[in-house]
Amino acid sequence: MAHPVMMDPPRQREVGADVYNEKLGMWIFLGSEVMFFTALIGSYIILRVGYPQAFGEPGQILNVPVTASNTFLLICSSVTMVKAFAAIQDGDQRGLRLYLLATVVIGAAFVGVQAYEYTALIHEGFIPSGYIEGRHFAELAAQGELPANVGIYGSTFYTMTGFHGFHVSMGVICMIFVTWKAFKGKYTAADHRGVEVIGLYWHFVDLVWIILFTIVYLI
Amino acid sequence: MATTALPLEHATHAEAHELSFIQKYIFSTDHKIIGIQFLLMSMLFLVVGGLLALMIRWQLGFPETAIPGGALLPETMAPDGFLLPEFYNSLVTMHGTFMVFFAIMPLLVGVFGNFLIPLKIGAPDMAFPRLNMASFWVAVPAGIMMLAGFFVEGGHSGAGWTVYAPLSADPEWTGVSYGQQLWLLSIAVLGLSSILGATNYITTVVNLRAPGMTWFRLPLSIWALFITAILVLLAIPILSGAAIMLFFDQTIGTHFFDAATGGQPLLWQHLFWYFGHPEVYILILPAMGMVSDVIANGSRKPIFGYHSMVYAIIAIGFLGWIVWGHHMFQSGMNPTLGMTFMISTMLIAVPSAIKVFNWMGTMWRGNIRFHVPMLHAVAFVAMFVIGGLSGVFMASTPVDIYIHDTYFIVAHIHYVLFGGSLFAIFAAVTFWYPKMFGRMMNPTMGKVHFWLTFLFYNLTFFPMHNLGVAGHMRRIYDPSQYEFLQPLAGINQFITVNALLLFASQLIFAVNFVVSWFRGKRATENPWEDNGLEWTVPSPPPHGNFAEVPTVYRGPYEFSSPDVSEDYLPQTTRLATDRTPAAGSEGGSA
Amino acid sequence: MADGQEHAHPNYWGVWAGLAVLTAFELGVAFLPWSKQAIVLILIGLAVWKALLVALYFMHLRWEGNRMRIFAIAPLPLAVIIVIAVITEFRW
Repeated sequence: MAHPVMMDPPRQREVGADVYNEKLGMWIFLGSEVMFFTALIGSYIILRVGYPQAFGEPGQILNVPVTASNTFLLICSSVTMVKAFAAIQDGDQRGLRLYLLATVVIGAAFVGVQAYEYTALIHEGFIPSGYIEGRHFAELAAQGELPANVGIYGSTFYTMTGFHGFHVSMGVICMIFVTWKAFKGKYTAADHRGVEVIGLYWHFVDLVWIILFTIVYLI
Repeated sequence: MATTALPLEHATHAEAHELSFIQKYIFSTDHKIIGIQFLLMSMLFLVVGGLLALMIRWQLGFPETAIPGGALLPETMAPDGFLLPEFYNSLVTMHGTFMVFFAIMPLLVGVFGNFLIPLKIGAPDMAFPRLNMASFWVAVPAGIMMLAGFFVEGGHSGAGWTVYAPLSADPEWTGVSYGQQLWLLSIAVLGLSSILGATNYITTVVNLRAPGMTWFRLPLSIWALFITAILVLLAIPILSGAAIMLFFDQTIGTHFFDAATGGQPLLWQHLFWYFGHPEVYILILPAMGMVSDVIANGSRKPIFGYHSMVYAIIAIGFLGWIVWGHHMFQSGMNPTLGMTFMISTMLIAVPSAIKVFNWMGTMWRGNIRFHVPMLHAVAFVAMFVIGGLSGVFMASTPVDIYIHDTYFIVAHIHYVLFGGSLFAIFAAVTFWYPKMFGRMMNPTMGKVHFWLTFLFYNLTFFPMHNLGVAGHMRRIYDPSQYEFLQPLAGINQFITVNALLLFASQLIFAVNFVVSWFRGKRATENPWEDNGLEWTVPSPPPHGNFAEVPTVYRGPYEFSSPDVSEDYLPQTTRLATDRTPAAGSEGGSA
Repeated sequence: MADGQEHAHPNYWGVWAGLAVLTAFELGVAFLPWSKQAIVLILIGLAVWKALLVALYFMHLRWEGNRMRIFAIAPLPLAVIIVIAVITEFRW
């Protein structure tokens, strides 16, 4: 017996959330992700309120221009993602494939830029435990140009952005899988659940970054 | 008279193609098999947790005597059979850890969430069967990692199951590094398993209910599991985040909880208990839900106040988020914040009390059948009242100042978790065993097990209230070092003897469980004459559960209904007076 | 029905432009010589605005039914509670 098309909510069931299972499941899962990032970002906020002198002013240690460009990149990838979804809603296979490919490439670029950012910071001597003795930032701190002790700054910065980057990476991997399926013609206007579901995850990751960029880099 | 048959949504898996043994029983995607896998795993860890407890009790009861079997323990734990203090600390830590995370939680949520939800709502399986399988198989390495901690250099975590920083963050204090790291990794991995499971349960209950199974026709066990899944979904990630932060403090030199560099030890406590308090409701709500099902069945009466029972479950779920500070009254936190927690904690006693009155109202003038599940369920109510009452004492901050970190707390914990959750688990296992395995457990052995457990359990844990009020602290290796505790040594011995007898009594349950699996009386479809949908299919049910999509006409507690001659009326039985709900209908409340 | 309300494709490029402009605003505000409190408030407001744009338009919450929206919103109060409560340890 062929599987029924599942873009409509399951038939012969009580009315539930009025959306198909996979979409409901992804929203529910995202709820747990909100709480996970709350633990990390909330701790940052709390620790910063408690001991603000450990944290640098915007741009002192972190590279705002590079990260601002990276933010713009991630926003672009969100648009390409939703354009891919809009394309397959209209049955446009070519549009779906191109926009998904774009999303993968831009998403991977985001991770790449973040990796570059990390190497630059480590080179300058800013790591999760604070400064590296003898490197540039430590010297600036000795001269009073930077906070003397950035232990919790490093800890919170790397943990938050690191786990966000991890989530983006997981998203890119899943996105590659979805793109591969798209190229094999597995999605149609009638059933493109996988595209919508990965899209929701991707937008969520973008949303978290929007919060992160503002409160970590700009405040 | 016949239920309106709706065509099955998909061909049953087994009909489509033959599955190998591995596909059917090891990497199964069938919720019933996964439930049983969780059952076997959890019972193993229940035994592990119990053995750890016995070692704790031996130290407290007979510290001058080498522990029986001590020769088996390595020098790093118990040279010549005398427990080292460091090892004792890891015993109290791991007893709590295994019991909470690897025994009670998976027993309630992993076993009965999995087994009951699809059956009782009329679904062929969970919304995401393969994710369900992943949930179990992710939990297994978590369990292995947690066990491994005993065998690494430095021993296992000794910081209490709550692993407060900075004790748990810096190996300098305890010499424990790898053990603590394994603990944290294990919990993070187990957390992932739980979150995936919760996603599955919530989606299933929302979207896969059979026609006519409106929200207010759901059995209370399902309501409770649903709210519990929401708590799991939202609370566990907090623990995961906190555990990761602590892991980083241990391994890569971060300073989240290190006061010297601007970190906050209290941050750990807040994060942990923000998870920890919803966690204890995760550990009790499914128990309450299943007890409701059993009590209605045993009383042959509808649940008294079904709607208020539902609202009470929801209220406990809500309020459970804003009481966490009552675990921290003595931590040095902001006292005004502490006061808000005192108020909210007093409040949360109310919905629990409503449930207790409703259980009593259900039994009142019922035609009571004292089958084994009913015995355990009634014991649950009584023991939970005691545990809840001690909780009211603790809710009052001035009182808690005196009894915090004493054995009064230990008594409370065990009255709600053993007297509460574990008795409910015994009830539930016995009640649904026929549906799981197609055989009945032996009722005589069941009754003997119940009475011995009830007796020795109370003799073990009730005196702990007295110990606590006398000032006996928790997690202490050698109480005799304090003069004021020396007179209590006799009570400690008494408790230890009863704990040993309690553990021994569980052998009866274990034997009953194993022997009945192979030699138990074959179970019919509905041996307890219950109304739930699971009792309308064979014992055990086939893959896909229902041959046709069931239609639900009423709530789950129509016992002693005037409409029929039997004293039960299944949810799916259609009477002449019942209308068929339209397929995919909204359906009003029953 | 599958997608909440039926609706024409939203103007996704328009939303993109809005997000880009808001980001530029944030960069500007962050380095203005105003009081820290004012900057923080404005930046958080802008960030929330951007987040809402993503949630409502890209994630289609604008057209989903209330039942779906409840799932999306439910964790937020919990996030707020823990942060505010622990901040009272330092600021009262």
